[in-house]
Amino acid sequence: MKPSLTSVYFRKPIVAVILSLIFGVDGFLAQQLSEYQVKAAYLYNFGKFVQWPSGAGAGNQVFICVLGQDPFGPILDAVLAGERIQGKGVVPRRIAKAQEALDCGILFISSSEERRLSDVLNTIEHVAVLTVSDIPGFSRRGGMIQFVLEGKRVRFEVNLASAQNAGLTVSSELLKVAVMVRR
Amino acid sequence: MIVSGAALLLAGAAFLVYDLVTFRETMASSLSIQAEIIGSGSVSALEFDDTRSAKATLSALKASPSILSAAIYTSDHRSFADYTRDPEHRMPLPPEIPAGKTEVQSFQDEHLILGKAIPFQGKTAGFIYIESDLTELNDRLTHYAGIVAGILVVSLLAALLISSLSKRAISTPVIHLAEMVRVVSREKNYSLRATAINSRSELAELIDAFNEMLSQIQERDGALEKARDELEHRVAERTAELAAVNKELEAFSYSVSHDLRAPLRHIDGFSLILAQKYGPALDAPAQQYLKRIRDGARHMGQLVDDLLGMAQIGRQEVVRKSVDLHALVKDAVRDLQSEWDGRRIEWKIGALPVLSCDPNLMKIAIVNLLSNAVKYTRKCEDAVIEADHFQQAGQTVIFIRDNGAGFEQEYAHKLFGVFQRLHRSEDFEGTGVGLATVQRIIQKHGGRIWAEGKVDEGAVFFFTLGAHDRQSGRDSLR
Repeated sequence: MKPSLTSVYFRKPIVAVILSLIFGVDGFLAQQLSEYQVKAAYLYNFGKFVQWPSGAGAGNQVFICVLGQDPFGPILDAVLAGERIQGKGVVPRRIAKAQEALDCGILFISSSEERRLSDVLNTIEHVAVLTVSDIPGFSRRGGMIQFVLEGKRVRFEVNLASAQNAGLTVSSELLKVAVMVRR
Repeated sequence: MIVSGAALLLAGAAFLVYDLVTFRETMASSLSIQAEIIGSGSVSALEFDDTRSAKATLSALKASPSILSAAIYTSDHRSFADYTRDPEHRMPLPPEIPAGKTEVQSFQDEHLILGKAIPFQGKTAGFIYIESDLTELNDRLTHYAGIVAGILVVSLLAALLISSLSKRAISTPVIHLAEMVRVVSREKNYSLRATAINSRSELAELIDAFNEMLSQIQERDGALEKARDELEHRVAERTAELAAVNKELEAFSYSVSHDLRAPLRHIDGFSLILAQKYGPALDAPAQQYLKRIRDGARHMGQLVDDLLGMAQIGRQEVVRKSVDLHALVKDAVRDLQSEWDGRRIEWKIGALPVLSCDPNLMKIAIVNLLSNAVKYTRKCEDAVIEADHFQQAGQTVIFIRDNGAGFEQEYAHKLFGVFQRLHRSEDFEGTGVGLATVQRIIQKHGGRIWAEGKVDEGAVFFFTLGAHDRQSGRDSLR
């Protein structure tokens, strides 16, 4: 039951039960799921609603890459361990340059790259990589999915045009839950 | 009517049950499809923890008025989003989906709750539950029952109508025909006809065929009757002819016998005169010839007398009376005394019955039979003559037995012929008319006579008198 973000923490039922008893379910979720835990789960979930063109990516694996300073730390590895996207194993990868992202399936661009964002996006403009970031104005500037916060809730905007330009097909289901879709 | 009503009722009930089952199934499957659609539309909401989106998806169920509530649960069975048609309504606790299954249905009174897992990318993204109102089903069932009842009533009425029509068109003529067949076979009245009916049906054909058959039988009957009448007529004619011829013959033989007597008397009379007047003048051979002429004339006279007697018996009517045969036999023995004077004969006369017969004719018959017995025992030292009776096949058989000369059994049938003799005249004199006369008498009574015998050991004559032998009222039924 890993795909949903809560299930990650319920993998060991006893732990979940004890935590629930201590905090109550809602309190537990609100206090324990940090912003980047949710974002890590969403990063993986996006992959389930995106169709890559044939021949894209890296064979039997889907790389979920983090460019720049890694805000997730071990959380990402914990979330992705053993998961699969469209039958392919999911492997986390940290990269320093945009050029390394050419065989990534999903690319998270850290806010440390905000100044170089245009260069990064240019580098991978026609490559079938789903770009995700929480840099403000990311989707407006040609990024595909931008995390936004609605209060404490993590939501996202989608730039459909950018995704389509890169040859990606985004499921309408994903668009349904997006706070904004740029076409 | 009862059968067709029951059949209709059963059919209606079967339809009702069938419809109930299929409607439930249809309802469940349509609910399942709706759950699937809503479920798959809620996948992204579940994946991205977006309750609002899930609620929006659920609210599409407003289009189905029978859906009372719906809820989406996360894969770890946490309530995620819900929908109720009526804000007051609370969804009952959803049933648990059993392990290994992806769907569960629960019919509860007025509700059907369907639970379904939401599969996504080979995993379960969450669960969806939909509660549907069964009032539609119940309404439909009530409606349907009403229709069935209506159809039943209409069908029964139609059946009643058809049955009464068919009764007029089929049953009544068939019953009439059957009754007619019974009457015809009971009364053997083939002039009856079944009433024809005004239609071109098979029934009308049957009735026509039946009437035609009756006509043929009647025709055949008429022909048969005519043939029988003709036959009877012809038999009567022949009988009359035969009787006339017989009468003529009897008259002829009587007149012949009678007319023969006159010349005989001449021969006898003149030969007597010749013997008395000229006897002494004749030499011995002439006297001998004369004697033979006289003997012959006497014998012929006897023959003529016997024939006349027989002819008379033939013409005589049988007048039946109660006759004590025992007394009659005793009388006959006494009458015959002159024939056996000087001889020793042991008479054994049994307890002979009283018979219904003509006393005069019976006397002649008995005298003839006893006379025969006396005659043929002449050469016996110890003659025994027995007269008795026994019962055989319901008839009384009278018999007269002697231990005299007897006869050869193979010639027994010749005994009763006129002029037929089994012994030479030199041994036993006679004309050969006696037994013929006896047979005539017995036959006139409707009886039968037969004989058994053995040479030198004796003879037995048996006779019965047919159906009238016993006096009425005594053992007549045996």
